[in-house]
Amino acid sequence: MRPPNLTLLPRLPDAEMAYMLNPGAESDANIEVHKYYGGTVLGVALLALVLQAFLHKYGRWSELIDLPLLVTIYFGVSRRNPATGLLLGAAIGIFQDALSHDYPIGFYGIAKTIVGYLASSVGARIDTEHPVSRLGLVFLFFHFHQAVLTITQRVLLNLPARFFSPRLLLDSVVTAGVAVVLFALLDRLRKPA
Amino acid sequence: MIDSVRHRPLALLAAVVLAQVLLLAFQIKRESGEHRVRLIRYWAVEMLTPMERAGTWTFAKIGGAWRGYFALKDARAENEKLRGEIERLLLRNRQLESQAAAGQRLAALQSFREQHPEAAMLPAEVIGASADPTSHTLFINRGEHDRVRRNLGVITPDGVVGKIVEVFPSSSQVLLINDKDSGVGALFAGTRTHGVVKGSGDPDPHMDYVVNDEKAAVGDAIVTSGEDRIFPKDLPIGAVASADPGNPFQVIRVRPAARLDRLENVLVLLSQQELAPKKTEAASAAPVATPSTPPAHTAPAPAAAAVTPPKLAPSAAKPAPASSEHAPAQTPAAAQSAAASPNATPKPDAPPPPPRR
Repeated sequence: MRPPNLTLLPRLPDAEMAYMLNPGAESDANIEVHKYYGGTVLGVALLALVLQAFLHKYGRWSELIDLPLLVTIYFGVSRRNPATGLLLGAAIGIFQDALSHDYPIGFYGIAKTIVGYLASSVGARIDTEHPVSRLGLVFLFFHFHQAVLTITQRVLLNLPARFFSPRLLLDSVVTAGVAVVLFALLDRLRKPA
Repeated sequence: MIDSVRHRPLALLAAVVLAQVLLLAFQIKRESGEHRVRLIRYWAVEMLTPMERAGTWTFAKIGGAWRGYFALKDARAENEKLRGEIERLLLRNRQLESQAAAGQRLAALQSFREQHPEAAMLPAEVIGASADPTSHTLFINRGEHDRVRRNLGVITPDGVVGKIVEVFPSSSQVLLINDKDSGVGALFAGTRTHGVVKGSGDPDPHMDYVVNDEKAAVGDAIVTSGEDRIFPKDLPIGAVASADPGNPFQVIRVRPAARLDRLENVLVLLSQQELAPKKTEAASAAPVATPSTPPAHTAPAPAAAAVTPPKLAPSAAKPAPASSEHAPAQTPAAAQSAAASPNATPKPDAPPPPPRR
């Protein structure tokens, strides 16, 4: 596909322009793709699902954190493969749906599928190793995830939902803060380069 | 070809999202028809619940260990604090119990005095005991200033205690009935058999001069005979604790009606005015009714021996026993007279009082 001829913009190389228009394209060869020991992704994803369901027993404070979302984002930006990122997000979301009773299966699946895809794509383009960038990334992805959920509720399920609330802002801040720590811990599971 | 490769993730995304949208639509459509996608939920739940169960078990164990060990770091200090509080409360409780017991004792004395208005009595408090362990004497807080004189009887509502043997300006010494120098004219309340209750050096006095032919059973009540000119008639002395034949008299051990080892408040009889029989029945009935049990007391009290005895002059600390306090062993009547006050005139020929029923 040829990029449109935008005369007002500086001329970019074809490959770079193509990548901007298609964030899901394969990563550049010079961007490091982190690898993990076998079973790490599956184990961490399951652990996140179990903890999310498990911690819910010990109070509503656990609702402030969306661990499956954090795992989806982390492995998305680390592996930098949109296909695996979206599939992992879909699997985690469907499991999350299966463990919840309020929504039909696919509710969280759709949102996390898209988040996994975008996280993988963004991870190939920006620095996701610095804590500040991780904080901002998770904050934005949280609200994007929430926006998808709200759209799904409104459009597909015909349920009332709000795009924004002070509680959501608090949730996003807490989740982003936890993500910085959690991502640093998960970095230790990487295979050495 | 290159475009298809580059667009593969996007196409995959679209396919996955579309599939899930269809799944949502399918569920929503089927839900109204009572058909729900349960298989996926079933698999997910079956896969994750064992891990949740394990997590719950682990958390419970960790929580138990935390609560059982690590969270107890302040328990020692709290325990010591509570222990100190308990000791303080126990001490306070003992003080209150002691005050209550003292109040009950004083109330009993007052009640006894009110029951016998015909007899002049002086309430007194035990302030000390003898330093000699073989001597059974007490010191009370009444003396010459209170019109106390020698050979006045000392009693409690339970029974006879002893008599005044030494008088000081503000205190007096009481010879208890279980002192070896003591002697009280006595008789069995039932058979009216006379004898003398004397101290033997043991905690319990003995009743002497009762011939072997006389029947003395354990529990028989023993009261004063009044012939010693110290105690009025029919005051309870105690009850027979054991009776064994001897030569020439029975060996009768008497359990005193008054708790001689726990005296705190007593009454000094200022005269030998005989107490009214109708009112003494209540006082004398207790040891008769329960001969095998110790006399009822209102409340336990610390032993009088615990009170530090006052310093006395050697002559006062060891009063010379009067010759008449050593009862001669001729006849019961003569012995009773001999056991009486040294100021009293012996009346060996005095007839025994008629039995009272």
